[in-house]
Amino acid sequence: MNDLPNRARSISSLRDFLELLEDSGQAITWSDPVMPEPGVRNIAVAASRDANGAPAIVFDNITGYPGKRLAVGVHGSWDNIALLLGRPKGTTIRELFFEIAGRWGDQEAQISYVPSAQAPVHECRLEQDINLYDILPVYRINEYDGGFYIGKASVASRDPLDPDNFGKQNVGIYRLQIQGPDSFTLMTIPAHDMGRQILAAEREKVPLKIAVMLGNHPGLAVFAATPIGYEESEYSYASAMMGAPIRLTKSGNGIDILADSEIVIEAELQLGERELEGPFGEFPGSYSGVRKAPIFKVTAVSHRRDPIFENIYIGRGWTEHDTLIGLHTSAPIYAQLRQSFPEVTAVNALYQHGLTGIISVKNRMAGFAKTVALRALSTPHGVMYLKNLIMVDADVDPFDLNQVMWALSTRTRADDIIVLPNMPAVPIDPSAVVPGKGHRLIIDATSYLPPDPVGEAHLVTPPTGDEIDALSKRIREMQLGALS
Amino acid sequence: MTTTVCGRCKSSGAVTDFQGRQDGAVVWTILRCPTCNFSWRDSEPARAIDPAVRSADFAVDAGDLQRYPKILQQ
Ligand SMILES: [Zn+2]
Repeated sequence: MNDLPNRARSISSLRDFLELLEDSGQAITWSDPVMPEPGVRNIAVAASRDANGAPAIVFDNITGYPGKRLAVGVHGSWDNIALLLGRPKGTTIRELFFEIAGRWGDQEAQISYVPSAQAPVHECRLEQDINLYDILPVYRINEYDGGFYIGKASVASRDPLDPDNFGKQNVGIYRLQIQGPDSFTLMTIPAHDMGRQILAAEREKVPLKIAVMLGNHPGLAVFAATPIGYEESEYSYASAMMGAPIRLTKSGNGIDILADSEIVIEAELQLGERELEGPFGEFPGSYSGVRKAPIFKVTAVSHRRDPIFENIYIGRGWTEHDTLIGLHTSAPIYAQLRQSFPEVTAVNALYQHGLTGIISVKNRMAGFAKTVALRALSTPHGVMYLKNLIMVDADVDPFDLNQVMWALSTRTRADDIIVLPNMPAVPIDPSAVVPGKGHRLIIDATSYLPPDPVGEAHLVTPPTGDEIDALSKRIREMQLGALS
Repeated sequence: MTTTVCGRCKSSGAVTDFQGRQDGAVVWTILRCPTCNFSWRDSEPARAIDPAVRSADFAVDAGDLQRYPKILQQ
């Protein structure tokens, strides 16, 4: 396994990644009979308790779905994320963060096209009598969800007003609720690319066709889940960040899709129609409300032979959602902040998609960390998500919560807490005063610089650095070795 | 427990969307309420699908569907 980086770069599909995970003890097959409810949920939740080491689970004996396969937890632990990034199991979250941050803007995209007739995703094709329930082994993800959800769909679409523009194709993750055999609702907000495209299609009365990709190259979900510039292609971005080629092909309705995905559902927006959607147990750990959401009609389904339906457990954390998007929520904020302020040394926005973030910074002058915090609120992700910010000095590792608590305990004065009232907020934040609007909190837990009075404390400086990191790894290995 | 009464809004007239089979025999049925769009499998635990015991916090008032907001308005 010395060749992990090359092996990671050679992944071109979910199947390749499951094989890598299995070889590393990070994927298991669940072949005991299991009921869709509550069995699948119970097993997925039990696995996700181990945020560091949980394996992916492939179910192949779900009652009522003979012969069908379901995968959950593919991105469900830091060890699985490490393997995807070409790093060994046991790599620390901090190391994974710098692995991703270091790739930012570093590589060229490598995109190639496969003719539809040769693309694995089109091995089997259905164009009539489509019943999604006959294709997908779905189950109720949380007990009071309004229906059966596809929780890990990468949805590709072209800009309805500029359909020939490759860059304006959008790929994003949206939750889909199955609404009868060949329809589904899609939840989005006007700020998301899909929301913008739906509004444009309905305003101009032009068709909006989409391709829903399931069971994808594992890099796509990691790197396509965070907003990038509207005219940047998520495929190019994911390829560059993986440092690996991505193979595309055309869906039957003319959209660029991954050639090696397990399943693609082609569908068309029903202009102006809305159907009751929800609730759905969402990433803050609470249910969304019931809303009337846009509805899509399925026009065709393609899939590989013996396809694997990939889904996610999402709900009160930790869950796969946190490990899937956490690092790549943090890395863009870090890169964007460093363009203005190279004093920023790390960003930990792992918590509930960045509802709480911790930023470490070298204070340039008294109060400087607060300026950096305000800049963070104006990054693309910060505008809606960064609700609570904790600012720490560069000598505090924001990924080590014991160190963060030390900074809060010893470096925070109560008048260093700033509340910004009535700011935009992500609508599903359960603490919002009204959905979509809430308060922001900045806690400056950095130390003081003149002209602030700095007191008389002199810091103890325990040994740190590579040598200590290597020693703690060795201690851990000796401990694990003693067990085996 | 196959019923066509919706566990969420108590409307009747649910439609069958799919039946799961094992060795040729039907082992469960997926139903959908055309009034509130709730979908369920008749093999689920009663607390999720049985109107008699399901939590009222998640009920939908079939007589007041206007109250639910419409997303993405021009
Ligand atoms: Zn109902």
